[in-house]
Amino acid sequence: MRFIKLLFILLTLFTLTGCLDDLTSDSKDKRSDTSTGGDNAAPALDFTELSTENETIQLSSELLNHDAVVLYYTMWCPLCDSHMSHMRSNIIDNYSNVRFLMVDYVSGTVSQSRSSQVSNGYASLTVLADTDQSLVDQFNATMGTTVVIDDQNNILMNEDYKNGARLIDVLEAL
Amino acid sequence: MRKRSPWVKSALPVSALLLSSSALLLPSSSAYAASCCGGGNSSSLVLPKFGNQMIDVSVDIEDYKGYWNQDGDYKKDPQGSDLNQYRLNMGYAFRIADNWQANVIVPYVWNDNTYPGITSKENGLGDASVSFWYETFDQVTCVYQVNSIEDLRPAIYVGGTLTVPTGKSAYGDDATSSFDITGRGLYRFDANLLIEKTVYPFTVTLQGSYGKYLERDVNQEYGTAIEPYKKNLGDRKFISASLGYTYFLEELDTVTFTAALSDLREDEGEIDGVSDPLTEFKKQSTALTTAYATSDLRWVFKGTWSHALREDGKGQNFPTTDIFTLGVSYAFY
Repeated sequence: MRFIKLLFILLTLFTLTGCLDDLTSDSKDKRSDTSTGGDNAAPALDFTELSTENETIQLSSELLNHDAVVLYYTMWCPLCDSHMSHMRSNIIDNYSNVRFLMVDYVSGTVSQSRSSQVSNGYASLTVLADTDQSLVDQFNATMGTTVVIDDQNNILMNEDYKNGARLIDVLEAL
Repeated sequence: MRKRSPWVKSALPVSALLLSSSALLLPSSSAYAASCCGGGNSSSLVLPKFGNQMIDVSVDIEDYKGYWNQDGDYKKDPQGSDLNQYRLNMGYAFRIADNWQANVIVPYVWNDNTYPGITSKENGLGDASVSFWYETFDQVTCVYQVNSIEDLRPAIYVGGTLTVPTGKSAYGDDATSSFDITGRGLYRFDANLLIEKTVYPFTVTLQGSYGKYLERDVNQEYGTAIEPYKKNLGDRKFISASLGYTYFLEELDTVTFTAALSDLREDEGEIDGVSDPLTEFKKQSTALTTAYATSDLRWVFKGTWSHALREDGKGQNFPTTDIFTLGVSYAFY
Protein backbone atom coordinates (compact mmCIF):
# COMPACT_ATOMS: atom_id res chain seq x y z
CA MET A 1 0.00 0.00 0.00
CA ARG A 2 2.82 2.36 0.84
CA PHE A 3 4.27 1.65 -2.55
CA ILE A 4 1.05 2.72 -4.23
CA LYS A 5 1.08 5.96 -2.25
CA LEU A 6 4.68 6.60 -3.13
CA LEU A 7 4.08 5.82 -6.77
CA PHE A 8 1.17 8.19 -6.93
CA ILE A 9 3.12 10.97 -5.25
CA LEU A 10 6.02 10.49 -7.62
CA LEU A 11 3.74 10.50 -10.63
CA THR A 12 2.14 13.66 -9.37
CA LEU A 13 5.46 15.36 -8.78
CA PHE A 14 6.58 14.37 -12.23
CA THR A 15 3.44 15.82 -13.70
CA LEU A 16 3.77 19.01 -11.73
CA THR A 17 7.39 19.60 -12.58
CA GLY A 18 7.48 18.52 -16.21
CA CYS A 19 7.80 21.39 -18.66
CA LEU A 20 5.11 23.49 -16.99
CA ASP A 21 6.50 26.98 -17.21
CA ASP A 22 3.90 28.63 -14.99
CA LEU A 23 5.34 26.75 -12.02
CA THR A 24 8.32 29.09 -11.98
CA SER A 25 7.62 32.61 -13.17
CA ASP A 26 10.31 34.62 -14.92
CA SER A 27 11.04 38.33 -14.57
CA LYS A 28 13.58 38.43 -17.40
CA ASP A 29 12.77 40.90 -20.15
CA LYS A 30 12.47 38.76 -23.29
CA ARG A 31 11.75 41.59 -25.68
CA SER A 32 14.12 42.30 -28.56
CA ASP A 33 14.56 45.34 -30.79
CA THR A 34 11.98 43.84 -33.14
CA SER A 35 9.39 43.52 -30.40
CA THR A 36 6.61 46.07 -30.05
CA GLY A 37 8.18 49.41 -29.16
CA GLY A 38 11.66 48.23 -30.21
CA ASP A 39 13.94 50.19 -32.55
CA ASN A 40 13.48 47.73 -35.39
CA ALA A 41 9.86 46.89 -34.76
CA ALA A 42 7.75 46.50 -37.86
CA PRO A 43 5.35 49.38 -38.56
CA ALA A 44 1.64 48.79 -38.61
CA LEU A 45 0.29 47.79 -41.99
CA ASP A 46 -2.67 49.71 -43.24
CA PHE A 47 -6.07 48.05 -42.99
CA THR A 48 -9.65 48.76 -43.97
CA GLU A 49 -12.55 47.36 -41.96
CA LEU A 50 -16.28 47.87 -41.79
CA SER A 51 -17.75 49.23 -38.58
CA THR A 52 -21.02 47.94 -37.14
CA GLU A 53 -22.69 51.07 -38.48
CA ASN A 54 -21.46 50.21 -41.96
CA GLU A 55 -18.83 52.91 -41.95
CA THR A 56 -15.58 52.09 -43.72
CA ILE A 57 -12.66 52.63 -41.37
CA GLN A 58 -9.13 52.84 -42.74
CA LEU A 59 -6.16 52.99 -40.42
CA SER A 60 -4.17 55.42 -42.54
CA SER A 61 -7.11 57.81 -42.78
CA GLU A 62 -7.67 57.71 -39.05
CA LEU A 63 -4.02 58.43 -38.39
CA LEU A 64 -4.17 61.51 -40.63
CA ASN A 65 -6.68 63.05 -38.25
CA HIS A 66 -5.64 61.63 -34.91
CA ASP A 67 -2.50 61.33 -32.80
CA ALA A 68 -3.04 57.60 -32.45
CA VAL A 69 -5.46 54.74 -32.93
CA VAL A 70 -6.32 52.33 -30.12
CA LEU A 71 -7.67 48.90 -30.98
CA TYR A 72 -9.32 46.83 -28.28
CA TYR A 73 -10.28 43.21 -29.02
CA THR A 74 -13.57 42.08 -27.52
CA MET A 75 -15.54 38.85 -27.52
CA TRP A 76 -18.31 40.29 -25.30
CA CYS A 77 -17.13 38.42 -22.24
CA PRO A 78 -17.08 39.51 -18.57
CA LEU A 79 -13.46 40.54 -18.70
CA CYS A 80 -13.96 42.33 -22.01
CA ASP A 81 -16.88 44.18 -20.48
CA SER A 82 -14.73 45.19 -17.49
CA HIS A 83 -12.03 46.50 -19.77
CA MET A 84 -14.39 48.36 -22.08
CA SER A 85 -16.35 49.83 -19.23
CA HIS A 86 -13.13 51.01 -17.58
CA MET A 87 -11.82 52.45 -20.82
CA ARG A 88 -15.04 54.31 -21.49
CA SER A 89 -15.25 55.71 -17.97
CA ASN A 90 -11.62 56.55 -17.34
CA ILE A 91 -9.71 56.96 -20.59
CA ILE A 92 -11.58 57.72 -23.78
CA ASP A 93 -12.84 61.17 -22.87
CA ASN A 94 -9.38 62.24 -21.71
CA TYR A 95 -7.80 61.78 -25.14
CA SER A 96 -9.99 63.54 -27.62
CA ASN A 97 -7.45 63.29 -30.43
CA VAL A 98 -7.05 59.54 -30.13
CA ARG A 99 -9.36 57.24 -32.10
CA PHE A 100 -10.68 54.32 -30.01
CA LEU A 101 -11.89 51.34 -32.01
CA MET A 102 -13.29 48.15 -30.51
CA VAL A 103 -12.68 45.01 -32.57
CA ASP A 104 -15.34 42.27 -32.47
CA TYR A 105 -13.74 39.14 -33.91
CA VAL A 106 -16.34 36.55 -32.85
CA SER A 107 -19.73 37.66 -34.14
CA GLY A 108 -19.23 36.70 -37.76
CA THR A 109 -21.40 39.35 -39.39
CA VAL A 110 -21.76 43.10 -39.15
CA SER A 111 -25.38 42.86 -38.07
CA GLN A 112 -24.63 40.28 -35.37
CA SER A 113 -21.74 42.38 -34.17
CA ARG A 114 -23.98 45.42 -33.92
CA SER A 115 -26.53 43.38 -32.00
CA SER A 116 -23.92 42.26 -29.48
CA GLN A 117 -22.62 45.79 -29.18
CA VAL A 118 -26.04 47.22 -28.40
CA SER A 119 -27.12 44.45 -26.04
CA ASN A 120 -23.93 44.85 -24.06
CA GLY A 121 -24.45 48.58 -23.71
CA TYR A 122 -21.74 49.94 -25.97
CA ALA A 123 -23.81 51.43 -28.77
CA SER A 124 -21.95 54.73 -28.62
CA LEU A 125 -18.50 53.23 -29.27
CA THR A 126 -17.12 52.48 -32.70
CA VAL A 127 -16.88 48.72 -33.20
CA LEU A 128 -15.11 47.09 -36.12
CA ALA A 129 -16.64 43.82 -37.32
CA ASP A 130 -13.58 41.66 -37.92
CA THR A 131 -15.62 38.93 -39.57
CA ASP A 132 -12.64 37.17 -41.14
CA GLN A 133 -10.28 37.67 -38.16
CA SER A 134 -7.91 39.61 -40.36
CA LEU A 135 -7.22 42.09 -37.58
CA VAL A 136 -6.68 39.25 -35.13
CA ASP A 137 -4.09 37.78 -37.46
CA GLN A 138 -2.46 41.11 -38.28
CA PHE A 139 -1.78 41.99 -34.65
CA ASN A 140 -1.61 38.45 -33.25
CA ALA A 141 -4.43 39.47 -30.95
CA THR A 142 -6.83 37.70 -28.63
CA MET A 143 -9.39 38.60 -25.98
CA GLY A 144 -8.40 41.82 -24.22
CA THR A 145 -5.53 42.68 -26.52
CA THR A 146 -4.96 46.42 -26.70
CA VAL A 147 -2.98 47.91 -29.56
CA VAL A 148 -1.79 51.50 -29.83
CA ILE A 149 -0.56 52.83 -33.18
CA ASP A 150 0.80 56.36 -33.41
CA ASP A 151 0.55 58.71 -36.38
CA GLN A 152 3.92 57.49 -37.63
CA ASN A 153 2.56 53.95 -37.93
CA ASN A 154 4.60 52.80 -34.96
CA ILE A 155 2.98 50.10 -32.81
CA LEU A 156 3.59 51.46 -29.34
CA MET A 157 1.69 48.82 -27.40
CA ASN A 158 0.32 45.37 -28.10
CA GLU A 159 -0.65 43.53 -24.92
CA ASP A 160 -3.52 42.76 -22.57
CA TYR A 161 -5.48 45.72 -21.23
CA LYS A 162 -5.07 44.60 -17.59
CA ASN A 163 -6.01 47.58 -15.37
CA GLY A 164 -5.52 50.17 -18.12
CA ALA A 165 -2.43 51.71 -16.53
CA ARG A 166 -0.14 50.75 -19.41
CA LEU A 167 -2.52 52.22 -21.94
CA ILE A 168 -2.66 55.49 -20.04
CA ASP A 169 1.14 55.62 -19.84
CA VAL A 170 1.44 55.13 -23.58
CA LEU A 171 -1.20 57.72 -24.41
CA GLU A 172 0.34 60.24 -22.02
CA ALA A 173 3.66 59.88 -23.82
CA LEU A 174 2.24 60.67 -27.26
CA MET B 1 -23.74 2.54 10.66
CA ARG B 2 -21.87 5.10 8.74
CA LYS B 3 -23.22 6.98 5.87
CA ARG B 4 -22.36 9.76 3.61
CA SER B 5 -24.17 12.68 2.21
CA PRO B 6 -23.38 14.70 -0.82
CA TRP B 7 -21.37 17.83 -0.74
CA VAL B 8 -21.37 20.19 -3.58
CA LYS B 9 -18.61 22.33 -4.68
CA SER B 10 -18.96 25.65 -6.33
CA ALA B 11 -17.55 26.10 -9.75
CA LEU B 12 -14.23 27.76 -9.73
CA PRO B 13 -13.26 29.54 -12.79
CA VAL B 14 -10.23 28.28 -14.45
CA SER B 15 -9.75 31.90 -14.98
CA ALA B 16 -11.76 34.90 -15.39
CA LEU B 17 -10.46 34.76 -18.85
CA LEU B 18 -11.66 31.49 -19.88
CA LEU B 19 -14.77 32.81 -18.91
CA SER B 20 -17.06 33.56 -21.48
CA SER B 21 -15.03 31.67 -23.70
CA SER B 22 -13.40 29.13 -21.94
CA ALA B 23 -12.70 29.35 -18.67
CA LEU B 24 -12.58 30.43 -16.00
CA LEU B 25 -11.64 30.52 -14.61
CA LEU B 26 -11.21 30.32 -13.27
CA PRO B 27 -10.64 26.47 -11.56
CA SER B 28 -12.47 23.12 -12.08
CA SER B 29 -15.65 22.18 -10.38
CA SER B 30 -16.36 18.91 -8.79
CA ALA B 31 -19.01 17.28 -6.75
CA TYR B 32 -18.12 14.77 -4.17
CA ALA B 33 -19.99 12.85 -1.63
CA ALA B 34 -19.09 14.00 1.84
CA SER B 35 -20.08 13.59 5.40
CA CYS B 36 -18.70 12.91 8.78
CA CYS B 37 -18.29 9.49 7.35
CA GLY B 38 -16.31 10.73 4.41
CA GLY B 39 -16.67 12.34 1.06
CA GLY B 40 -15.39 15.64 -0.07
CA ASN B 41 -15.61 19.35 -0.23
CA SER B 42 -15.12 22.16 -2.63
CA SER B 43 -11.42 21.92 -2.97
CA SER B 44 -10.55 18.37 -2.25
CA LEU B 45 -11.66 14.91 -1.40
CA VAL B 46 -12.38 13.91 2.15
CA LEU B 47 -11.77 10.33 3.17
CA PRO B 48 -14.28 8.43 5.26
CA LYS B 49 -13.22 8.44 8.88
CA PHE B 50 -11.93 4.91 8.76
CA GLY B 51 -10.84 4.91 5.16
CA ASN B 52 -7.22 4.48 4.17
CA GLN B 53 -7.33 5.57 0.56
CA MET B 54 -9.85 6.73 -1.97
CA ILE B 55 -9.87 7.19 -5.71
CA ASP B 56 -12.33 9.68 -7.14
CA VAL B 57 -12.99 10.35 -10.78
CA SER B 58 -15.54 12.83 -12.06
CA VAL B 59 -16.48 14.54 -15.28
CA ASP B 60 -17.75 18.12 -15.44
CA ILE B 61 -19.74 19.50 -18.32
CA GLU B 62 -19.87 23.27 -17.96
CA ASP B 63 -22.24 25.18 -20.20
CA TYR B 64 -21.71 28.95 -20.39
CA LYS B 65 -24.87 31.00 -20.53
CA GLY B 66 -24.12 34.69 -20.33
CA TYR B 67 -22.38 36.62 -17.60
CA TRP B 68 -22.70 39.28 -14.95
CA ASN B 69 -20.99 42.51 -15.86
CA GLN B 70 -19.04 44.86 -13.61
CA ASP B 71 -22.28 46.38 -12.32
CA GLY B 72 -23.80 42.99 -11.54
CA ASP B 73 -26.22 43.09 -14.46
CA TYR B 74 -26.85 39.81 -16.24
CA LYS B 75 -25.91 39.83 -19.94
CA LYS B 76 -26.44 37.17 -22.55
CA ASP B 77 -23.64 35.72 -24.67
CA PRO B 78 -23.61 36.69 -28.34
CA GLN B 79 -26.48 35.14 -30.25
CA GLY B 80 -25.46 31.90 -31.90
CA SER B 81 -22.61 31.17 -29.52
CA ASP B 82 -22.18 27.83 -27.78
CA LEU B 83 -19.48 27.88 -25.11
CA ASN B 84 -18.52 24.81 -23.14
CA GLN B 85 -15.78 23.44 -21.01
CA TYR B 86 -15.35 19.78 -20.10
CA ARG B 87 -13.15 18.55 -17.27
CA LEU B 88 -11.96 15.14 -16.17
CA ASN B 89 -11.02 15.35 -12.50
CA MET B 90 -8.79 12.62 -11.16
CA GLY B 91 -8.48 12.55 -7.38
CA TYR B 92 -6.61 10.42 -4.90
CA ALA B 93 -6.92 10.71 -1.12
CA PHE B 94 -4.98 8.84 1.50
CA ARG B 95 -4.69 8.76 5.26
CA ILE B 96 -1.41 9.88 6.72
CA ALA B 97 -2.31 9.55 10.42
CA ASP B 98 -5.34 8.75 12.55
CA ASN B 99 -6.85 12.21 12.17
CA TRP B 100 -4.88 13.45 9.19
CA GLN B 101 -5.43 12.90 5.52
CA ALA B 102 -4.14 14.31 2.26
CA ASN B 103 -5.23 14.31 -1.33
CA VAL B 104 -4.29 15.34 -4.83
CA ILE B 105 -6.65 16.35 -7.64
CA VAL B 106 -5.47 16.70 -11.21
CA PRO B 107 -7.96 17.96 -13.81
CA TYR B 108 -7.72 17.69 -17.57
CA VAL B 109 -9.64 20.36 -19.47
CA TRP B 110 -11.24 20.60 -22.88
CA ASN B 111 -12.43 23.99 -24.13
CA ASP B 112 -15.07 23.84 -26.85
CA ASN B 113 -16.25 27.22 -28.04
CA THR B 114 -18.36 28.18 -31.02
CA TYR B 115 -19.23 31.73 -31.97
CA PRO B 116 -20.95 32.70 -35.20
CA GLY B 117 -17.60 33.85 -36.52
CA ILE B 118 -15.08 31.54 -34.93
CA THR B 119 -14.78 28.01 -33.58
CA SER B 120 -12.16 26.68 -31.21
CA LYS B 121 -11.40 23.34 -29.56
CA GLU B 122 -8.41 23.20 -27.24
CA ASN B 123 -7.37 21.03 -24.33
CA GLY B 124 -4.72 20.65 -21.68
CA LEU B 125 -3.93 19.95 -18.05
CA GLY B 126 -5.79 22.16 -15.59
CA ASP B 127 -4.54 23.57 -12.29
CA ALA B 128 -3.86 20.75 -9.85
CA SER B 129 -4.42 20.94 -6.11
CA VAL B 130 -2.90 19.31 -3.06
CA SER B 131 -4.82 19.33 0.23
CA PHE B 132 -4.31 18.35 3.83
CA TRP B 133 -7.13 17.88 6.32
CA TYR B 134 -7.24 17.50 10.08
CA GLU B 135 -10.26 15.80 11.60
CA THR B 136 -11.12 17.31 14.98
CA PHE B 137 -13.09 14.23 16.04
CA ASP B 138 -12.05 10.69 16.85
CA GLN B 139 -15.32 8.91 16.24
CA VAL B 140 -18.01 9.17 13.63
CA THR B 141 -20.47 11.87 14.66
CA CYS B 142 -23.48 10.80 12.60
CA VAL B 143 -26.38 9.76 14.81
CA TYR B 144 -29.89 8.45 14.41
CA GLN B 145 -31.27 10.10 17.50
CA VAL B 146 -30.26 12.95 19.70
CA ASN B 147 -30.24 11.62 23.24
CA SER B 148 -27.65 13.88 24.77
CA ILE B 149 -25.82 17.07 24.10
CA GLU B 150 -22.86 15.03 22.95
CA ASP B 151 -24.97 13.69 20.08
CA LEU B 152 -25.11 17.20 18.66
CA ARG B 153 -21.39 17.38 18.18
CA PRO B 154 -20.60 18.00 14.51
CA ALA B 155 -17.78 16.70 12.43
CA ILE B 156 -15.30 19.52 11.90
CA TYR B 157 -12.50 19.38 9.40
CA VAL B 158 -9.77 22.00 9.19
CA GLY B 159 -7.54 21.99 6.16
CA GLY B 160 -5.40 23.71 3.63
CA THR B 161 -5.25 23.48 -0.15
CA LEU B 162 -2.42 24.49 -2.41
CA THR B 163 -3.48 25.12 -6.00
CA VAL B 164 -0.58 24.62 -8.37
CA PRO B 165 -0.58 26.37 -11.79
CA THR B 166 -0.17 23.29 -13.94
CA GLY B 167 -2.70 24.51 -16.48
CA LYS B 168 -2.08 26.68 -19.53
CA SER B 169 -2.35 30.35 -18.60
CA ALA B 170 -1.98 33.58 -20.55
CA TYR B 171 1.52 33.97 -19.11
CA GLY B 172 3.14 30.69 -20.13
CA ASP B 173 4.54 29.36 -23.38
CA ASP B 174 1.62 27.15 -24.26
CA ALA B 175 -1.29 29.54 -24.74
CA THR B 176 -1.46 31.78 -27.79
CA SER B 177 -5.09 32.83 -27.41
CA SER B 178 -7.71 33.01 -24.69
CA PHE B 179 -9.28 29.85 -26.08
CA ASP B 180 -6.21 27.87 -24.99
CA ILE B 181 -6.44 28.73 -21.32
CA THR B 182 -6.93 25.92 -18.83
CA GLY B 183 -5.42 27.50 -15.70
CA ARG B 184 -4.93 30.81 -13.92
CA GLY B 185 -1.15 30.85 -13.79
CA LEU B 186 -0.74 31.63 -10.09
CA TYR B 187 -0.23 29.56 -6.96
CA ARG B 188 -2.95 29.90 -4.33
CA PHE B 189 -3.25 28.66 -0.76
CA ASP B 190 -6.70 28.21 0.77
CA ALA B 191 -7.48 27.68 4.42
CA ASN B 192 -10.56 25.48 4.62
CA LEU B 193 -13.16 24.76 7.26
CA LEU B 194 -15.84 22.10 6.88
CA ILE B 195 -18.54 21.57 9.50
CA GLU B 196 -21.06 18.83 9.10
CA LYS B 197 -23.74 17.23 11.21
CA THR B 198 -25.87 14.24 10.38
CA VAL B 199 -28.94 13.24 12.34
CA TYR B 200 -30.46 10.72 10.04
CA PRO B 201 -32.03 11.22 7.65
CA PHE B 202 -30.84 14.85 7.53
CA THR B 203 -27.37 16.27 7.02
CA VAL B 204 -26.42 19.91 7.30
CA THR B 205 -23.09 21.10 6.02
CA LEU B 206 -21.33 24.45 6.17
CA GLN B 207 -18.09 25.14 4.44
CA GLY B 208 -15.85 28.12 4.05
CA SER B 209 -12.45 28.84 2.63
CA TYR B 210 -10.15 31.82 2.37
CA GLY B 211 -7.47 31.86 -0.28
CA LYS B 212 -4.47 34.02 -1.03
CA TYR B 213 -2.58 34.04 -4.30
CA LEU B 214 1.18 34.20 -4.56
CA GLU B 215 2.40 37.15 -6.60
CA ARG B 216 4.24 36.21 -9.78
CA ASP B 217 6.37 37.79 -12.48
CA VAL B 218 4.94 38.09 -15.96
CA ASN B 219 7.15 38.68 -18.97
CA GLN B 220 4.89 37.42 -21.75
CA GLU B 221 1.22 37.29 -22.62
CA TYR B 222 -0.10 34.66 -24.98
CA GLY B 223 3.45 33.91 -26.08
CA THR B 224 4.39 37.51 -26.89
CA ALA B 225 7.16 39.15 -24.88
CA ILE B 226 6.07 42.28 -23.04
CA GLU B 227 7.56 44.66 -20.50
CA PRO B 228 7.83 42.55 -17.33
CA TYR B 229 5.51 43.25 -14.44
CA LYS B 230 4.34 41.65 -11.23
CA LYS B 231 0.81 40.31 -11.03
CA ASN B 232 -1.34 39.15 -8.19
CA LEU B 233 -4.99 38.25 -7.88
CA GLY B 234 -7.25 39.24 -5.01
CA ASP B 235 -8.07 37.17 -1.96
CA ARG B 236 -10.67 34.49 -2.62
CA LYS B 237 -13.59 33.81 -0.29
CA PHE B 238 -15.93 30.88 -0.59
CA ILE B 239 -18.86 29.89 1.58
CA SER B 240 -21.49 27.24 1.09
CA ALA B 241 -24.37 25.70 2.99
CA SER B 242 -26.21 22.52 2.15
CA LEU B 243 -29.02 20.31 3.40
CA GLY B 244 -29.22 16.64 2.56
CA TYR B 245 -31.82 13.91 3.00
CA THR B 246 -30.94 10.24 2.96
CA TYR B 247 -33.06 7.26 1.99
CA PHE B 248 -32.01 3.81 3.06
CA LEU B 249 -32.44 1.13 0.45
CA GLU B 250 -32.44 -2.61 0.82
CA GLU B 251 -29.24 -4.00 2.27
CA LEU B 252 -28.52 -0.54 3.63
CA ASP B 253 -27.35 1.03 0.42
CA THR B 254 -28.31 4.70 0.45
CA VAL B 255 -29.44 7.45 -1.84
CA THR B 256 -28.91 11.00 -0.66
CA PHE B 257 -30.34 14.16 -2.14
CA THR B 258 -28.68 17.43 -1.30
CA ALA B 259 -29.42 21.07 -2.07
CA ALA B 260 -26.70 23.67 -1.67
CA LEU B 261 -26.22 27.41 -1.89
CA SER B 262 -22.79 28.90 -2.43
CA ASP B 263 -21.12 32.26 -2.73
CA LEU B 264 -17.70 32.75 -4.28
CA ARG B 265 -15.86 36.08 -4.36
CA GLU B 266 -12.46 37.35 -5.30
CA ASP B 267 -11.10 40.77 -4.36
CA GLU B 268 -9.22 43.22 -6.51
CA GLY B 269 -5.90 42.05 -7.90
CA GLU B 270 -2.68 44.02 -8.20
CA ILE B 271 -0.32 44.88 -11.04
CA ASP B 272 3.07 46.16 -9.96
CA GLY B 273 1.51 46.87 -6.58
CA VAL B 274 -1.24 49.01 -8.09
CA SER B 275 -4.86 47.99 -7.64
CA ASP B 276 -6.48 46.03 -10.46
CA PRO B 277 -10.21 46.20 -9.78
CA LEU B 278 -11.04 44.60 -13.12
CA THR B 279 -10.29 41.09 -11.84
CA GLU B 280 -12.68 41.36 -8.88
CA PHE B 281 -15.67 39.03 -9.19
CA LYS B 282 -18.61 37.44 -7.40
CA LYS B 283 -20.71 34.38 -8.15
CA GLN B 284 -23.72 32.94 -6.36
CA SER B 285 -25.05 29.56 -7.32
CA THR B 286 -27.25 26.67 -6.29
CA ALA B 287 -26.66 22.97 -6.68
CA LEU B 288 -28.56 19.73 -6.45
CA THR B 289 -26.75 16.46 -5.92
CA THR B 290 -27.84 12.86 -5.87
CA ALA B 291 -25.45 10.25 -4.50
CA TYR B 292 -25.78 6.51 -4.31
CA ALA B 293 -23.55 4.72 -1.82
CA THR B 294 -23.13 1.03 -1.25
CA SER B 295 -23.66 -0.19 2.29
CA ASP B 296 -19.96 -0.88 2.78
CA LEU B 297 -19.26 2.70 1.66
CA ARG B 298 -16.69 1.57 -0.82
CA TRP B 299 -18.51 2.81 -3.88
CA VAL B 300 -20.22 6.15 -4.26
CA PHE B 301 -21.82 7.29 -7.50
CA LYS B 302 -22.95 10.88 -7.73
CA GLY B 303 -24.43 13.41 -10.05
CA THR B 304 -24.67 17.16 -9.57
CA TRP B 305 -26.33 20.03 -11.31
CA SER B 306 -24.87 23.38 -10.33
CA HIS B 307 -26.71 26.43 -11.53
CA ALA B 308 -25.53 30.04 -11.39
CA LEU B 309 -28.36 32.41 -10.60
CA ARG B 310 -29.07 34.33 -13.79
CA GLU B 311 -30.36 37.44 -12.13
CA ASP B 312 -29.01 40.94 -11.69
CA GLY B 313 -27.03 41.28 -8.49
CA LYS B 314 -26.27 37.58 -8.06
CA GLY B 315 -22.81 37.94 -9.47
CA GLN B 316 -20.28 40.37 -10.83
CA ASN B 317 -17.73 40.21 -13.62
CA PHE B 318 -18.17 36.48 -14.03
CA PRO B 319 -19.77 34.00 -16.41
CA THR B 320 -23.02 32.32 -15.47
CA THR B 321 -22.86 28.61 -16.11
CA ASP B 322 -24.61 25.34 -15.56
CA ILE B 323 -22.31 22.54 -14.48
CA PHE B 324 -23.31 18.91 -14.76
CA THR B 325 -21.05 16.54 -12.91
CA LEU B 326 -20.96 12.77 -12.87
CA GLY B 327 -18.52 11.04 -10.59
CA VAL B 328 -17.58 7.83 -8.87
CA SER B 329 -15.34 7.14 -5.93
CA TYR B 330 -13.96 3.98 -4.41
CA ALA B 331 -12.64 3.83 -0.87
CA PHE B 332 -10.13 1.35 0.51
CA TYR B 333 -10.45 0.30 4.15
